[in-house]
Amino acid sequence: MISTLLPTWLAQAPPVEDVDAKVNLDSLILTEQFYFWTVVIMWLIHVGFMAYEAGAARRKNVMSTAMKNILTIAVVTPTFYYFGWYIYGCFEEGWPKDGHASPTVEGLEILGGFCQNTAPWAAQMGPNLQDHVSAVFFLAFLLFSWTTASIMSGALIERVRLSAFLILGALLGSVVWIMDAAWGWSGGGWLVTRFGFHDSIASLVVHGVAGAFTLGVLLNLGPRIGKYTTDGAARTFRGHNTHLTLMGLMLIFTGFYGFYAACLVIQSTVFPGWLNIYLSPTTLGAIAFVITIGFAGGFTGGWFASKGDPFWTLSGGLAGVISVSAGADVYHPSLAYLLAISGGMLAVYAGGVIEKKLRIDDAVGAVAVHGVCGFYGVFLVGIFAGGYPTGINNVESSFGGQLMGMLAFLPLAFLPGYFASWLLKKMNLLRVPAEVELEGLDLAEFGQDFYPEFERVPEVVIEPDGREVDAAPVLLDAYWQTNGRPTTRVGAGEERS
Amino acid sequence: MFDAFPYDEWSEDVAEFWTFGGEGSTGTWILTVLGIAAMVISFWGFVQLENAKLRRQAERLRSSGALSRPGASPTV
Repeated sequence: MISTLLPTWLAQAPPVEDVDAKVNLDSLILTEQFYFWTVVIMWLIHVGFMAYEAGAARRKNVMSTAMKNILTIAVVTPTFYYFGWYIYGCFEEGWPKDGHASPTVEGLEILGGFCQNTAPWAAQMGPNLQDHVSAVFFLAFLLFSWTTASIMSGALIERVRLSAFLILGALLGSVVWIMDAAWGWSGGGWLVTRFGFHDSIASLVVHGVAGAFTLGVLLNLGPRIGKYTTDGAARTFRGHNTHLTLMGLMLIFTGFYGFYAACLVIQSTVFPGWLNIYLSPTTLGAIAFVITIGFAGGFTGGWFASKGDPFWTLSGGLAGVISVSAGADVYHPSLAYLLAISGGMLAVYAGGVIEKKLRIDDAVGAVAVHGVCGFYGVFLVGIFAGGYPTGINNVESSFGGQLMGMLAFLPLAFLPGYFASWLLKKMNLLRVPAEVELEGLDLAEFGQDFYPEFERVPEVVIEPDGREVDAAPVLLDAYWQTNGRPTTRVGAGEERS
Repeated sequence: MFDAFPYDEWSEDVAEFWTFGGEGSTGTWILTVLGIAAMVISFWGFVQLENAKLRRQAERLRSSGALSRPGASPTV
């Protein structure tokens, strides 16, 4: 029977070429869908940042804070489209040496020519029926870029000009971070191919770099009026809605799963399985293990280090994940748990030093959580994942290679942030006028109170000794003592009186 | 590739229309330049609009005396 039917079946079977083409198409569409849905999930990061920062702001600054997060999308998207993606495609070797010809690696010709596909006039940067992957891959990176700008956003709230933030956000999101991604977070990046630099889920290239850039900006921006007493002790401004802040953080955590997934590469007809950004083998399950237990460890570390403070407990979760992201494709869950606990504790400690010792007013602890823990995460890979073969050249990761990355990225991030904000400060475009800061930015920017149905109660500030007092006379006194300028210098108020 | 409907043929027609001529064409260049111009102008607009709002409000607050020095008559 079978011997009779077999020739008929074979005659009716489609040609192998047709089957091959359909399998290729299915594979491409699966890849396209995968990145598309990571982008959808990653939007939650930005919903989260908006809620997180708006909750941390005082009532008088709620909408001006939220609007920063919304307009981040308005400025980082076009700047990243027009030149950010080109930087990623063409600066892997540092300054592009071969024009539009990306470095080609034997056996991985797919990398060659990537540069010329990233210019805004390239066929891959518009609707293209022959290309299912380039657009969604670009979009995933665009969402990473929004994230870098949003990391900075919260630190500057309640006194930065919206327009100044947008300029700085575009610089960070579409130039600075993507340059470091080209160097250390790509298959052909010089730090990877020469030194085995390993930062698989972007501890440093996203978080650490955004934190270092933010630090440079904060030095020029200065603290909010009244944040520090004239003898240098820190007051605490109470955010208007801690529940909203915590919900925002939980949304960020949800979006992080999309972020983590988008850091991997998959296309079944080209690669044999999941790869990290350096095209080294890994699995989606491996990184899901690490991110989940990273949150657990971070919450634990943050809780104990802050003695149960709600804000720092949740921020500790973020810090824990960031601390283990660099090695998320390598770590055993137990190792990730232990390292994340240490990361959560480190963030709390670093946040205290930055606020109280260095007297830098980082309103949400972004420099401690993202900056310090981002660098810490890459440092940990040098210790716990030394010898792991990284990237297309199979260069072993090492402490020296990780150090090379940190030394390259610290100035790459800090200096542009510092000098761009310095320039804006000199042009008087960095900070809102002191009078507007005291009254609240929302009335000046939007002409309205955004909780009109609620009674206004006196704003409270917490003095360094823990007393809660009416904020109005304290802030007004600070305004006059410092001639309307913020100060962190001991006795600066008396000098000017 | 598909014989159920003329996908390939339609694809060529569609692609020719929606890309304004495809990679490196005059249409694509013009759109790119216009897009970059809109982006730059929007940055200028963000700065100018906000600057005007902030200066107006700061001036209003200074002249109103709402932020007078505690325990002293306003000096500005």
